[in-house]
Amino acid sequence: MLYTELTSSAQKEALERFKAKGFPTNKWEEWKYASLKSWNEKDLDWAPAPLNETSSASLQTQNGNTRFHGALPAGVEFISFDAFIAANPTIAATWEQRLPILDQNSLYDLNIALTLNTQVLWVKAGVSVDQAITHDYILSVAKASAVQSRLIVYLEPDASLTLIERAFTIAGSAEVLSNFVQEIYVSEKANLTYVKEQDLAQNTTHIDHTFITQLSNSQVDLFTFSLNAAYLRNNLHFYSDGENVVSNLNGLYVPGEDQLMDSHTVVDHRKPNSESHELYKGVLLGNATGVFNGKIFVRPDAQKTNAFQSCKNVLASTRATMNTKPQLEIWADDVKCSHGTTTGQLNQEALFYLRSRGISLANARTLLLLAFVQEVIDRVTHEETKLRLTDKIISKIQTSLAI
Amino acid sequence: MLSIKNLQARIGEKEILKGINLEIKAGEVHAIMGPNGSGKSTLASVLAGREDYEVTGGSVEFLGKDLLDLAPEERAAEGLFLAFQYPVEIPGVSTTNFMKSAVNEIRKYRGEEPLDAVQFLKMFKEKMSYVNIDQSLLSRALNEGFSGGEKKRNEIFQMAVLEPKLAILDETDSGLDIDALRIVAEGVNKLKSPDNATIVVTHYQRLLDYIVPDFVHVLYKGKIVKSGGKELALELEERGYDWIISALGE
Repeated sequence: MLYTELTSSAQKEALERFKAKGFPTNKWEEWKYASLKSWNEKDLDWAPAPLNETSSASLQTQNGNTRFHGALPAGVEFISFDAFIAANPTIAATWEQRLPILDQNSLYDLNIALTLNTQVLWVKAGVSVDQAITHDYILSVAKASAVQSRLIVYLEPDASLTLIERAFTIAGSAEVLSNFVQEIYVSEKANLTYVKEQDLAQNTTHIDHTFITQLSNSQVDLFTFSLNAAYLRNNLHFYSDGENVVSNLNGLYVPGEDQLMDSHTVVDHRKPNSESHELYKGVLLGNATGVFNGKIFVRPDAQKTNAFQSCKNVLASTRATMNTKPQLEIWADDVKCSHGTTTGQLNQEALFYLRSRGISLANARTLLLLAFVQEVIDRVTHEETKLRLTDKIISKIQTSLAI
Repeated sequence: MLSIKNLQARIGEKEILKGINLEIKAGEVHAIMGPNGSGKSTLASVLAGREDYEVTGGSVEFLGKDLLDLAPEERAAEGLFLAFQYPVEIPGVSTTNFMKSAVNEIRKYRGEEPLDAVQFLKMFKEKMSYVNIDQSLLSRALNEGFSGGEKKRNEIFQMAVLEPKLAILDETDSGLDIDALRIVAEGVNKLKSPDNATIVVTHYQRLLDYIVPDFVHVLYKGKIVKSGGKELALELEERGYDWIISALGE
């Protein structure tokens, strides 16, 4: 049994916690719309072998095993977490005191328990990595499996990095639950752009936990594009732990037939004079279900915070469902915060206008839906990624509307 | 070209058109006038295929086809065009892209080859001159933040691009100052030919100073109660609608 390989007491404890709770069920408040209960009953391979897939990406995670291919850019290291801590005793101290995981759930424990090699992508102080680093997160298993993976991204002061993640399942894979944890540390004046493209198979359940800590004068532009999977869950937590921090959270989900996409975001403003902008949009096709749960905390010290949240959804089918829940907890008195969620159908008058010019109903709907999602796509500055996402989204919407 | 017989329509439980009869031939300009709530805009909407209205009786034949049997996009492809009273603002879609889709879908319907980018640009440039519309306006999101005049000019520009057989101008003069009115009317007049026809729906006579009708019809309570030549519009301007209504014995 793999469990015997667990070396550290932290891992053993985490495993005990997971065993006590099991996979989340819809009785848990934060998992109301999606139960993973059925995974308790399955006979799972808990450590499927890595693949031998070829991929052009430099950073590759194959069934949970992450490695770096080719030459590392100057000023970037890719090493094990243990080696990283050994080389950086001061960082180790900070790391131990890192902010608590909010909304802790059993999947995080499962990840701690069973991840055997945590890797660190480490960008040195003052280094601006000019080429985007592509990260292919690939799943392909022979029998039903649970895959754990953990990646640390550490940006030293004044560092700058663009990360493009493409998560996908290789055709022919057995069903898989993928449980991916990332802890990202963005130091003073550092800059991170991170685009996540989640385009997985219908027998894949993908849980992404991304925890981002930002220090003063740093900026993070994060994009989550959720295209396909039976169940996609994004737990995205920002800890705004410095002054003049800018956090931009952009999300676009396009769930189709028998798909559920669930975004749980937390922005935790802990220091004064920072801002966060959250823009999430969804197009729900077929009998899809969407969930958006966006929390904003403004702690007592975080005066002069500007925190904005917007979540807009279009139900492109009468069978689709969207659940939204914005939650603001504000303890500081001199702040600007706003949130707004809308869920509706396409504007009938706009549809008629387009049709009256000779555009078919299906094409008019596609045109309006693309116009709706364009706002999020247009914010991606990495041109190749923007084009690829546009193509994928057009084709998904067109296929769904043609049925 | 267009033959409307005893057309009746309602929205919800409310009967609005109560038996319209109208014959329009190629080369003609017809003005539909009438007081507020008489059914003018409903008639325009029903002809264009707006789904809020339910046709409860009568028939409409357009170039030999049963118009009421066609989807709005098919009506457009057959050569019908409605200039909207309130053109819709559509964020994220530029007029250029939208018109490109429209033109090529209509060409496909008619079994014609799609225009390529170069041909499209050439045609577009030519049509822009009809209503003196600016390229920058057409690259912007459709009607978003356009002034009243810009929106109406954009309607006539779209009409110029699509070259309809029958154009219906629904209250095109509303919200226009006199200069904008003249530009829009000049655009419409340039597009006039012996092969096409125009229906001008208007509350006021002033548009008809610029787009001169061959026939004027007065719509009242869902029926055409009086028809005449262009002098009827002048008389309405002078005397209002009351004399017609009282002549009906109401």
